Amino acid sequence: MNEHKTDRLVVPPDAVAQVAACLQRLMADSNASLSMVIDRSGRVIASESRDPRSGIADLGVLIAAAYSSLQEIARLLREENFQTILHEGLRERIVTETIDARWLLVVLFDEQVQVGLVRVLTRRTASTLAAILDLQQQPPKFSRQRQKQFRRAAQDTIDLIFGKDPEGPDRERT
Amino acid sequence: MALINVAAREIHGKIVYYGPGLSGKTTNLQYIHARIPAHSKGELLSIATEAERTLFFDFLPLDVGKVHGFTIRFHLYTVPGQVLYERTRVAVLNGADGVVFVADAQRERLAENLQSLRELGQNLTAQGKKFLDFPLVLQYNKMDLPNALPTPVLDRYLNPMRVPRFEAVAIEGTGVFETLRAISKLVVNRL
Repeated sequence: MNEHKTDRLVVPPDAVAQVAACLQRLMADSNASLSMVIDRSGRVIASESRDPRSGIADLGVLIAAAYSSLQEIARLLREENFQTILHEGLRERIVTETIDARWLLVVLFDEQVQVGLVRVLTRRTASTLAAILDLQQQPPKFSRQRQKQFRRAAQDTIDLIFGKDPEGPDRERT
Repeated sequence: MALINVAAREIHGKIVYYGPGLSGKTTNLQYIHARIPAHSKGELLSIATEAERTLFFDFLPLDVGKVHGFTIRFHLYTVPGQVLYERTRVAVLNGADGVVFVADAQRERLAENLQSLRELGQNLTAQGKKFLDFPLVLQYNKMDLPNALPTPVLDRYLNPMRVPRFEAVAIEGTGVFETLRAISKLVVNRL
């Protein structure tokens, strides 16, 4: 296996700042309670919340899973995709909007907020975000030396964390 | 594809445990979740059927720690192994940075292992990945059972690629962390 091959997507700080500014504007205009940009695997790249909220990472993963499941349904129905997905509960609602092939925009809001307004604003924001995030699909320019040092340090850390089973057979043997 | 958020100084990698039904994918994640210190893990999410079989996936976020100022996070997923859920496996596999193929070492499961491994190759290829060049680790699970095939036989059928492989008894934890360590290293080698 080629050790020097890379497979990564770097989102630089200025892009994250622009994404955050878009999300803040969306929150202010729509009165939503939470908005975030996630990738198709549910990894959160930026989020804005009206109140402190835990479990955002889990939320991202589950929403991405629901989204990918619905895209498979779209495929079976010979639809290109479901561009916008609405989940509606008694109190909370979620709009998930496709930004592009890689990213999703997720907005949470309550029953006080009009669904139609959120959908319009979400779609508009998604198109702005597509332009911002389209620029980022380039590999970073790290030196070979720095890359090597990083990999070595990462491997040492992995050995430290996963190198032994804290309460398992390894410990019993010692 | 690993995601690097420079602003948050975070690196996210996705590792998928793949394999036929009942081979022990969920057991691997349950064991890891039980043994990893609380500060390095999130909740284990499982979307399962009423019969406790994986319906969509299990998900376990792990925080490896800081390396050169970047926090490395691995998201571990399992796929549902049952043949019926092929499209679900495709969805979960999408965006994976590395795969652990959990094979059931029992003699009568060899054909299912082969079918699942073949399907994995096809799915990775369909997602634009080169199977032979993709971070992959094999785990031969249930090696404690009397009908388990010997490792050289499993190697001959399942590992012509000669990727790293580990014997395991996942329910007891044997081989679980060795497997996780190996795939984690292969993934960071691509960063």
